[in-house]
Amino acid sequence: MELLGQQLIGANRQTVWNALNDPDVLAQCIPGCEEISRLSENQLQLRIMVKIGPVRSRFAGTLTLEGINAPASCTLVFEGTGAAGFAKGGSSVVLSEQGEQTRLEYAAKASVGGRLGQIGGRLIESSARKMSDEFFSAFQSVLSGGTDAGAEAGTLGGVDAAAVPGARSGGAPPSSGQAAPADAGASAGGPAQKNGAAAGRPASTRPAPAEAAPMLAGWRPELYRAFWFCLGVFFTLLVGRWLP
Amino acid sequence: MKAPSFDYIRPGSVDEVLELLATHGDDARILAGGQTLMATLNMRLSEPELLIDINAIESLKGIELRQGALWIGAMARHSHVEDSPLVAEHAPMLAQAAPHVAHRAIRNQGTFGGSIAFADPAAEWPACIVALDAVLHLAGRQGVRKVPAVEFFLDLYTTELAADEVLLGCEIPILAPGRAQVFQELARRHGDYAIVGVAAAANLRGGVFHDMRLVFLGMDNTPARALDVEQWLEGKAPDEQALAQARQLLDDVLQPSADLYNSTATKMHLAGVLMGRVLRKLAETA
Repeated sequence: MELLGQQLIGANRQTVWNALNDPDVLAQCIPGCEEISRLSENQLQLRIMVKIGPVRSRFAGTLTLEGINAPASCTLVFEGTGAAGFAKGGSSVVLSEQGEQTRLEYAAKASVGGRLGQIGGRLIESSARKMSDEFFSAFQSVLSGGTDAGAEAGTLGGVDAAAVPGARSGGAPPSSGQAAPADAGASAGGPAQKNGAAAGRPASTRPAPAEAAPMLAGWRPELYRAFWFCLGVFFTLLVGRWLP
Repeated sequence: MKAPSFDYIRPGSVDEVLELLATHGDDARILAGGQTLMATLNMRLSEPELLIDINAIESLKGIELRQGALWIGAMARHSHVEDSPLVAEHAPMLAQAAPHVAHRAIRNQGTFGGSIAFADPAAEWPACIVALDAVLHLAGRQGVRKVPAVEFFLDLYTTELAADEVLLGCEIPILAPGRAQVFQELARRHGDYAIVGVAAAANLRGGVFHDMRLVFLGMDNTPARALDVEQWLEGKAPDEQALAQARQLLDDVLQPSADLYNSTATKMHLAGVLMGRVLRKLAETA
């Protein structure tokens, strides 16, 4: 499955580019994002709680920026694993100026596998689209400072492949093995995969940590250390539970 | 695989459930028939801290006539709906749909309300209650609110039911004289999730359709009501020409996502074929 889309954002290109590269902004916009930290200049570490229907599962993974041509284009590559399976995907993002606004175009490919792919395959595409709606409405409202511009732009954006006849090659072949990747948008993708139709829906119900962000800034090294400690504990527990 | 450890509580009243939901919030899940939830837990795709088992709450069970409408309690099992003479008489669409809900063993355990609250896009009951103009009763701490089924399903697995509310049951208008109801679906094997299904109801007066309800399942994130086709069919006789035109119109109404086995084109083709069958059957029945 490939999702294509575009989005008109009420901010200038440099602002949008900075936002796409800002872990704090991404943390607010990625649905279920619990942790995000910078591993290196072009690599982010994230942990996401995916909540779709009956599934509530955590994914830990990395988001890498490749082919950077600031502030015009880049490719985002996500890889993540969780107890429920794995997800990986890539997306090319192009930003172009349109007056005072910025047009964001993307083409994303993603796949999920493991148990999540097995049972979730039927609805992965709809799930990916739903999560992308949430990402973009949140991204929109963060960038427009929660003004009406977001809602206006929201109705313009989001032409996804499903709505374009001939843009898709039809259904994926049936998966043969248990862990065969289901051909679809990963539920745990980075911003690259949060694409698709942006409905002018209210931003996600997650309280935006508007005040928390600056306050936490000085504490970031401590937070990183705490995060790595928690991750260590998490994996120790995971290994302790699964291996014996 | 086995489920992760969780706490379990089996309250005897809806008020207790509401209290528990208010206290535990997102960490608690309601256990009805468990036909989806338990599988999800056993696969460790979800790890709630508390399961609130509502199987002991008598007021949620039962199928009866209440104030001129058919009442189906949230905890009525699929098999109760399937076997109920009241359902067969007053909402025959549900009796037709019931055998399509998985297999009998699952129907003995799974519940009507569980299926509706879960809102799987390929489930039978959500499409049926939209086609039947049913009204859902949702209990919260502020009291009971009534939501028409057509407004209940918001998005993929997302409904009007708030996290601190419980679905009490469903109020379904009884079948009026001269009105017909038909349900059909296509699945790869019997009991599988439907590729596409249609729940339809209409009056046939003077040889033409009136007041059509045409709701598709498996074609969108929520039950998909084909409003344009419904309106177009108003006052049309059920002849082959009208059916062919209705099918053309349907292409503009539905835009299903492909799944692992069926492309969008396949789904649209099957939806058109199935709609033809259902409309012919409606004309015969009315």
